[in-house]
Amino acid sequence: MNAIETHGLTKHFGKQTAVDDLSLSIPAGSIAGFIGPNGAGKTTTLRLLLGLVRPNAGSATVLGRPLTERDRYLPRVGALIEAPAFYPSLSGRTNLEVLALLGGHRGSRVNDMLETVDLSDRAGDRVGTYSLGMKQRLGVAMALLPDPELLILDEPANGLDPLGIVEMRELLRRLRDRGKTIVLSSHLLGELEHVADWLVMLHKGKALFCGSARDLLTQRVELVIEPEDAVQRELVTRVANQAGYAVTQEVHTLRIACPAGFADTLDRLTREAGAVDLTIRVKEASLEQLFLALVKGEHS
Amino acid sequence: MTSVIRAFRSEVLKFRRWTVLAGAAVMVAVSTFIAYLTFHQIVSGATGSEMSGLIAAFPTSQGLVAVIGQARSVILAIALIQVSANLAAEWTQGTVRNLLVREPHRLRWLTGKMLAVVLFVLLSMLLTLVISGTFILMLAQGQGIETAAWTSGPGRRIFVEFLGNEMIALIGVGALGTLIAVLTRSVGAAVGIGLAYILVLEGIIAVVAPQVSRWFPGRVFNTIVGSTVPLVGPNPSQGYTAAMLASVLWIAGFAVISALVFRRQDVTA
Repeated sequence: MNAIETHGLTKHFGKQTAVDDLSLSIPAGSIAGFIGPNGAGKTTTLRLLLGLVRPNAGSATVLGRPLTERDRYLPRVGALIEAPAFYPSLSGRTNLEVLALLGGHRGSRVNDMLETVDLSDRAGDRVGTYSLGMKQRLGVAMALLPDPELLILDEPANGLDPLGIVEMRELLRRLRDRGKTIVLSSHLLGELEHVADWLVMLHKGKALFCGSARDLLTQRVELVIEPEDAVQRELVTRVANQAGYAVTQEVHTLRIACPAGFADTLDRLTREAGAVDLTIRVKEASLEQLFLALVKGEHS
Repeated sequence: MTSVIRAFRSEVLKFRRWTVLAGAAVMVAVSTFIAYLTFHQIVSGATGSEMSGLIAAFPTSQGLVAVIGQARSVILAIALIQVSANLAAEWTQGTVRNLLVREPHRLRWLTGKMLAVVLFVLLSMLLTLVISGTFILMLAQGQGIETAAWTSGPGRRIFVEFLGNEMIALIGVGALGTLIAVLTRSVGAAVGIGLAYILVLEGIIAVVAPQVSRWFPGRVFNTIVGSTVPLVGPNPSQGYTAAMLASVLWIAGFAVISALVFRRQDVTA
């Protein structure tokens, strides 16, 4: 069962298209990473799912309910969108109490969540005196208040120190193990590689990839080719582009992020074209390399 | 209904903010100071055509309201700032997105919040009138001025009428502030536009087209209070009932437009 599904979701702001015919699915009980450069449409997509902005076209379901029934699914959703927003002259505890009262949650959840994010000691202090990392943790506590089935976190690691990032990672895994679905938007691709078991790669409002992180990382490799001359360089680029893969040009090498099987295809096609002594090395690709390759592929 | 009550209670928690309390404190302090200045001018024997009405009314049952009512423009302006800034701050601070995720029924949230904010402004106004009234009463008694007419039956009735009309004017200003905040979604813009409209724009229109401007919201809210004690505001030329009806229609109009806009608005804060 999918916790989130979108079909042709589209959102324009004036002449600008923030989300463009976006179709994706996120399985329940997974940690799904939302990846994309600034302006890719990550935050707008999350806002659409939370009913904060209205789509111009397309449809979506969240926890099995359409966007038009947000009163049926939002009580089961916790969210931290963009920078955590609070009333700076109120204490951390009061900020949470405001939301707990509004959402009809038990008062004891406030203390529980403050403890979960390790803010009990500073709960009575004004939020204006908190560091960025503390505000981030308070934001996560706010998102966890309703004990949500679906947790949407936009850049939750912002401002956290390395220990905080590790703790956040462990917290997310614990929540996933308790059956919760977590959607995690982040620029820290290495961090997502650690925790995400589902990936959605966005670029210019479209999904470049939506699927299992394991499949992506194991089936995708990076080919490093060392052409001997400009003719070989041009040949490899043409073959890769015809197969739909982008080529990263470096001084002496070419890099192609692609499925492992393409190495044999490339070798065969270049041999047939006369490049018999081409060196092709296969390397495991990082999420960052895959993402850059997908973005460049979109451009080419 | 439960959602509205939850939104109301949640808003009440936020009144602990110093900015909210400071607004009420400024209302009390400035209004009391203006009342004191008016009182001082009268008892120190000030003359001038603008003072003659006040001096004549001073020993009558209208005396106390005439003195403390001099600050009502300040009360209305502070109320407008309080309401519009309070609501617009939810966008400026970005907190509106937290709130609308926790309460998906936008209009229930807006209703609960604005009920709490307007109630707070009304209580601030009541506190202001009670404090400034008590202060002027004590000053007068301390100086041996006869105040029996102020606290007589007719004096108390005039005070209650003034209070009632002022409450309607404040609710009107609150509805106007709500609409401006929903449309501008920014504290600076909401406060600036609100004050510019009430204090400047309507004044200019009143000079150019007085017959039309007397039906404008700022004017009708102002004149219904002036109908109680003419010394504290202009008397409604269209009559009290017509001015009151216009006030109610403006309040309803502002509320409906605010609701329609807010319900469909994209929250990008």
